[in-house]
Amino acid sequence: MTDTAQALVGDGYKYGFVTDIESDTAPPGLNEDTVRFVSAQKGEPEWLLEWRLGAYRRWQKMTEPKWANVQFPPIDYQAASYYSAPKQKAGPKSLDEVDPELLKTYAKLGIPLHERAALAGVAVDAVFDSVSVATTFKDKLGELGIIFCSFGEAVREHGELVKQYLGSVVPQGDNFYSALNSAVFSDGSFVYVPPGVRCPMELSTYFRINAAKTGQFERTLVIADKGAYVSYLEGCTAPQRDENQLHAAVVELIALDDAQIKYSTVQNWYPGDAEGKGGIYNFVTKRGACRGARSKISWTQVETGSAITWKYPGCLLEGDDSVGEFYSVAVTNNRQQADTGTKMIHLGRNTRSTIISKGISAGKGQNTYRGLVRVQPKAANARNYTQCDSLLIGDRCGAHTVPYIEVRNPSATVEHEATTSKISEDQMFYCRSRGLSQEDALGLIVNGFCKEVLKELPMEFAVEAQKLLSVSLEGSVG
Amino acid sequence: MLEIKNLHASVEGGREILKGVSLSVKPGEVHAIMGPNGSGKSTLAGILAGRPGYTITQGAVTYQGQDLLAMSPEDRARAGIFLAFQYPVEIPGVNNMYFLRMALNAIHRAKGEPELDAGQFLKTVRAKLKLLEIEDDLLQRAVNVGFSGGEKKRNEIFQMAMLEPRLAILDETDSGLDIDALRLVSNGINKLRAPDRSVVMITHYQRLLDYVAPDFVHVLSEGRIVRSGDKSLAAELEKTGYVGVGA
Amino acid sequence: MAVKTEAAPYLEAFRPDASEPAWLADARRKALAAFGERGFPTRREEAWRFTSLRPLADKSFKPGRGKLELKSAALPNGVWFASMARTLAERPEIARRAINESDLAGGQPFASLNAALFGDGFVFALDEGVTLDDPMEIVHSAAEGSINLRNLIVLAPNSRATVVETYRGKGAYWTNTVTSVSVGASASLTHVKVQDEGSEAIHFGMVRATLAPLAAYRNFGLTLGANLSRQDVQVAHGDGSNADVSGAYLQRGDQDTTTAVVIDHAAPNATTHELFKGVLDDRAHGAFLGTIRVREGAQKTDAKQTSRALLLGDRASVDTKPELEILADDVKCAHGAAVGDLDPAMLFYLRARGIGENEARRMLIEAFVLDAIEAVEQPELRNHLASLVHDWLEAGR
Repeated sequence: MTDTAQALVGDGYKYGFVTDIESDTAPPGLNEDTVRFVSAQKGEPEWLLEWRLGAYRRWQKMTEPKWANVQFPPIDYQAASYYSAPKQKAGPKSLDEVDPELLKTYAKLGIPLHERAALAGVAVDAVFDSVSVATTFKDKLGELGIIFCSFGEAVREHGELVKQYLGSVVPQGDNFYSALNSAVFSDGSFVYVPPGVRCPMELSTYFRINAAKTGQFERTLVIADKGAYVSYLEGCTAPQRDENQLHAAVVELIALDDAQIKYSTVQNWYPGDAEGKGGIYNFVTKRGACRGARSKISWTQVETGSAITWKYPGCLLEGDDSVGEFYSVAVTNNRQQADTGTKMIHLGRNTRSTIISKGISAGKGQNTYRGLVRVQPKAANARNYTQCDSLLIGDRCGAHTVPYIEVRNPSATVEHEATTSKISEDQMFYCRSRGLSQEDALGLIVNGFCKEVLKELPMEFAVEAQKLLSVSLEGSVG
Repeated sequence: MLEIKNLHASVEGGREILKGVSLSVKPGEVHAIMGPNGSGKSTLAGILAGRPGYTITQGAVTYQGQDLLAMSPEDRARAGIFLAFQYPVEIPGVNNMYFLRMALNAIHRAKGEPELDAGQFLKTVRAKLKLLEIEDDLLQRAVNVGFSGGEKKRNEIFQMAMLEPRLAILDETDSGLDIDALRLVSNGINKLRAPDRSVVMITHYQRLLDYVAPDFVHVLSEGRIVRSGDKSLAAELEKTGYVGVGA
Repeated sequence: MAVKTEAAPYLEAFRPDASEPAWLADARRKALAAFGERGFPTRREEAWRFTSLRPLADKSFKPGRGKLELKSAALPNGVWFASMARTLAERPEIARRAINESDLAGGQPFASLNAALFGDGFVFALDEGVTLDDPMEIVHSAAEGSINLRNLIVLAPNSRATVVETYRGKGAYWTNTVTSVSVGASASLTHVKVQDEGSEAIHFGMVRATLAPLAAYRNFGLTLGANLSRQDVQVAHGDGSNADVSGAYLQRGDQDTTTAVVIDHAAPNATTHELFKGVLDDRAHGAFLGTIRVREGAQKTDAKQTSRALLLGDRASVDTKPELEILADDVKCAHGAAVGDLDPAMLFYLRARGIGENEARRMLIEAFVLDAIEAVEQPELRNHLASLVHDWLEAGR
């Protein structure tokens, strides 16, 4: 490896700083009292506490899934703290009441929370450790009847909607991590777009883990009512710490008749250092239900961070003629491990799904695509197209492709294609002979490889994602 | 400009291909290197541009006073060396314009010149298209992907026009071209001739030389330059073939 | 040691044969114990998730015996082609190679059961440099009970041969075969298996092939019969070896079949080609599990796997899991899988030329299957397989 490349690896992760802020943090440990504590902190109604306790009791009977192609030492669920909130006056009414340290943090991350300075056309909900600290453009969205607020606020102000949809896509006991989340989730974002309304701006949540020895368990619920449209995106970063921190989120999307939800993620949690020390365990359950006819849910993810990524954003294609899409780029460098993919469950007639997955392995990274396409007996004329490509950079990494295709209807058409290849020396040389450095040549080729996915991202974030890809792979050639 | 002295080279871990090539190229000169298949022409071109996979066993190459062989491929490009590939490489998903802008700005940065913004870049593109009298139909496509043989070669010459090299090495740029494409490409090369730009044309056939007149012609055979002369040597080759000139 | 309930009847049926060599008696005891402890696999196990063993679990088969026929042209010196029973008696040093550690470990329970109980099978061994143009034919017919066959094919370096196995029968029985294949350096083996068992039968077949450097192995399986069947093919590559593992499964009624192929590239420069075609009518179920594993250091691997299935019946279903596990970078690996119905445009084109719909469908299905049979090089053998496919389609009219 060249000296420059070496130097670049050293400062590869730019978001590793810690914000020095006073926090209310629950003592470590998890039991029914912890669940009650979290619920009480948020002043929740009785039904939600009961729901949480139900989830906790299920979780206790469950075991961690072992089927994923990832290795990590056992997690001591009693060692983590399940609640941490920056000290501030309850529910700041305006940004003036938000702790300036917090505003500084988000500014440093490139997410200004002052509306006048904000990214044009993007409303942001900022989640810091366990709580939402600010939501921008709420009033403007409110005029259209769009609800965009922290999950906690939604429980207080829009309890009926939350009660109706919470757990309706990802049931409490869906899996080990979703059960854990259902018991102790702290905050997150809530979106409701009323019938016929096209949300005029990108809605965005920016997640930040700051406190040490805590997990983050946010819950996101997005509902697009009949004929509504919303594009939602989330970004994630965390400080550079030697310990592993658990992030177990749950995201539920519901699209009613003719509704469309576009959900984009740029995940850049701290990946750990080159030796695999530290980093976030990103064990996330994301699922959308295309409940209505002609509804559409589209997942786009760029996964460059985290020590371990375990997530399978999927679609339940219940409504006739509904459409599910999954576009993914996952990068593993150094000792990162990713086991990610999607589930497309075809239930309604004429349902269609598309899966485009690009996995890039470098260093000693292990990258697995795991996907399920299932066509149920009633899903006449279902269509799926899947393409999974893996790119290997160096001979110490691994790329794995594990698709499951289960077809129970003869009129279905399912196509799956996968390729694995190494980064082409010819392409590298061609670029270099035109004056590009090795790093730039690599970035260029990798971005080309990922293009089909990156073009699905909202414009403002596509550029960020491209840079992130190059940064994530720094030091992997030479 | 370019000084090759007694260059010996072999394929990595394999047989010797160049067995003592010496060549001197001065600014503004156009040299044609001709030779039968397997004589080492493309190896020479590859070595000058820094293609991996060769071992230099003896000899030296200096370019503008610098040790060329010690430079990385990109540093050579930034120092003004341009190789028009015999088989231009396809790069799926990478837009041709974007690729060129990245290349051009990398070269500008290396020279300490300001980078071009999108507008300035577009202006340069238009000017070069006009100069070469070619269409802009390839620019919005991915680099060389799905291009015909002629389109790939035209794209190489366009890149050369954009990157304004000091030393252009054209590796079999005429191969696989029909007569119209050959005219288009050689017209481009002629337009790019300049007093401070040297050209080394590598070709199997002399037909390219009917369109681009060289100052010097060299015959490469079995890894050595066996004859050197002016344009008339090419005509002699035409009549007697490589065997007739001692190759 | 606890014995699984479903395994108990098979353990009880075990009768040691005092005339057998000690090494075999010992291996049988160990394998039986391993099977007893392990029992039948369950659908919770990844390799068995698509295979329902209910038809097997519902019955308890007593030990049975089928009819084994070995046919070949006159054989030159340097060829051994005989039943396993005869080989054990006359050439035990060859027979010994038919059993290996994995039989005793219990990881593949039906292979362990087979090692413990096998009564016969065939053995084909070729000396260095011997090449045979005519195929060795093995035909097995069965009628009742559980029949365990242990087969062995050993090709010494630079030899070449073709082996064709056919399994037939009538009645409710269970054939369970394990075939060990060893292809020596630069040797070449074509290995065809036709599974045409009776409609009430259960058939399990496992092939474990080890390829020496530059060996070539062609395995083709045609699955037509049995109520429940499973074919496992496991290939371990040598440096620069070449494997073509292909097949077709045609099933109707309540038939259920699984094909599971694992190709292990532990050595560099090897190539793999796989093409499987499935046709499923009525309520039939088919499953294809294909793993290509490229281990660290297996550079220059070139592997391609394709699996396609046609669903004809309203309640027919298919499960496919093509898997790539890649730990080397200088490789070319690809897989494709497709499930669907016949192409309506093609169907229409044929009909527009005056061909009746059923006939047009039959033509297209036949073409779909013959594509996989192309993997077999010998024209006579290809014709034989094609006629079996043709007959299967005719029988469905």
